[in-house]
Amino acid sequence: MSLLSVSHLKAGYGPINVLHDVELTVEAGEIVVMLGANGAGKTTTMRAISGMIGRSGEVHFEGADIARATPDAIVRAGIAQVPQGRGTFPELNVEDNLRCGAYIRSDKEIDADIDRWFDVFPRLRERRAQRAGSLSGGEQQMLAIARALMARPKLLLCDEPSLGLAPLITQELFAVIERLNREMGLSVLLVEQNANLAMHMAHRVYLIETGRIVASGSAAELSADDSIRKAYLGF
Amino acid sequence: MALFLQRLVDGLSSGSVYALIALGLVIIYRGTGHLNFAQGEMALFAAYVVYQMGEWGLPIGIALVIGLATGFVIGAVAEVGLVRPISKKSPFAVFIVTIGLFQLLNWLSGAIWGDQVLPNSGVGSKQQQYPSLFPDQPDDFVKVFGAAIRYQSLGVLLLTLVITGLLFLLFNKTKFGLAMRAVASNAESAKLVGIRVNTVLMVSWGLAAAIGALGGVVFAGINNSVSLGLMFTVFIYGSAAATLGGFDSPGGAVIAGLAIGVIENMAAGYIGFIGQEMKLAVAFIVILVVLMVKPSGLFGTAKVERV
Repeated sequence: MSLLSVSHLKAGYGPINVLHDVELTVEAGEIVVMLGANGAGKTTTMRAISGMIGRSGEVHFEGADIARATPDAIVRAGIAQVPQGRGTFPELNVEDNLRCGAYIRSDKEIDADIDRWFDVFPRLRERRAQRAGSLSGGEQQMLAIARALMARPKLLLCDEPSLGLAPLITQELFAVIERLNREMGLSVLLVEQNANLAMHMAHRVYLIETGRIVASGSAAELSADDSIRKAYLGF
Repeated sequence: MALFLQRLVDGLSSGSVYALIALGLVIIYRGTGHLNFAQGEMALFAAYVVYQMGEWGLPIGIALVIGLATGFVIGAVAEVGLVRPISKKSPFAVFIVTIGLFQLLNWLSGAIWGDQVLPNSGVGSKQQQYPSLFPDQPDDFVKVFGAAIRYQSLGVLLLTLVITGLLFLLFNKTKFGLAMRAVASNAESAKLVGIRVNTVLMVSWGLAAAIGALGGVVFAGINNSVSLGLMFTVFIYGSAAATLGGFDSPGGAVIAGLAIGVIENMAAGYIGFIGQEMKLAVAFIVILVVLMVKPSGLFGTAKVERV
């Protein structure tokens, strides 16, 4: 059984349908990357999985049907999303942002987890009392990821983490995601426009175009296919 | 000295009411970015409910709880039934809807309790006075440096400070307060971390209306009566306090509310030509000057965000 399996997923905004028939799976312990151009439906797919927009079709997480669940129920089930454009709470300080990430939890290990993510992202520890809105883009992205991880998710959804970041910072972030995947078996579904960097860490890749998955396979398989490489990967 | 002290305490006492109304406005503004034009009339309705409980012979403590609960329910129902569905269509329309709610609540109060000043033995009121939260007989005061400081005035001020302190604890030390701040900051992301945003907004409106209701009951107590026009000027002063304090700062709203109360009383007392009729204008001139220098209000945050 896949950790996440999506089929016949349709979603959109009001009368406009963006996703027509999206099918994808994420196995436990995998990093799956979805590539596509602007407007292909990457963000819409993420928002549909998280329950942020109306959708139809089947979405199963650990075997349970979550296609009609509310966003908070989906977070509780174990899916945390890092939204596009970071989505931090700009008026709240760094530590409160992390506490919000642990909103669904009531255990005693929240402080220990905050410390843990401060170890992974030392820059955040230095800025723990600063407002999130005053951080740099890279720091905000780190904060957004750490906040999502505070929920102790089984699956992390990352929506274009590289957006607006210098390549070096993006590399640093991707290295952290790979490390979390290796060390704690965190499963990741990451969407990107930036094919080059993301494909390096992907176990599997999906290509999405105008609301449909048009190709899938390992990174090696897709880059070996000339027509796909030219049309979608741009190298 | 005695006169100064007297005016100071009187100013702080009416300022407390402005502060409570302003607090309600700020809580709603922080939560949903709306200006609740009906804040004053929600408080008016609750003030009438407390009067009615007094008529039925309930002690003030119980009457107050019922009044605040009524305020909470009005606020929560307004959010769920009116504000939420309409703000999806147009955020600006919400402002118009709160004006409609203002008229509806005023009309409803008039339809139930009539347009007389209550209590009124002419329409069969059993109470001599509006139910007061604090001892309010003619001799309930202490002499300080020759000024007669009424228990009522001290009680009202103390109550406002306690409410402010409790709100501070709620916002900064509780999980629900964290959720309220998160929703105010970024509602989309609040959903993504599992906060039930709709519940938070409903409770925020309820809480805001209940705090406003307390302001209404206190003000009716200071006035010794309740009538349909009770909250009109109070609401204007309350909005002025919220603006002056910075619309997103609860502490600022309270300080500004108290300051406006003191300024209007001092100006009316000491500057001959101002008197009771012009004191509203004085308060607004002060606000205008402050806002020209600091547009986000005394304690408001100018939004800072790096991208």
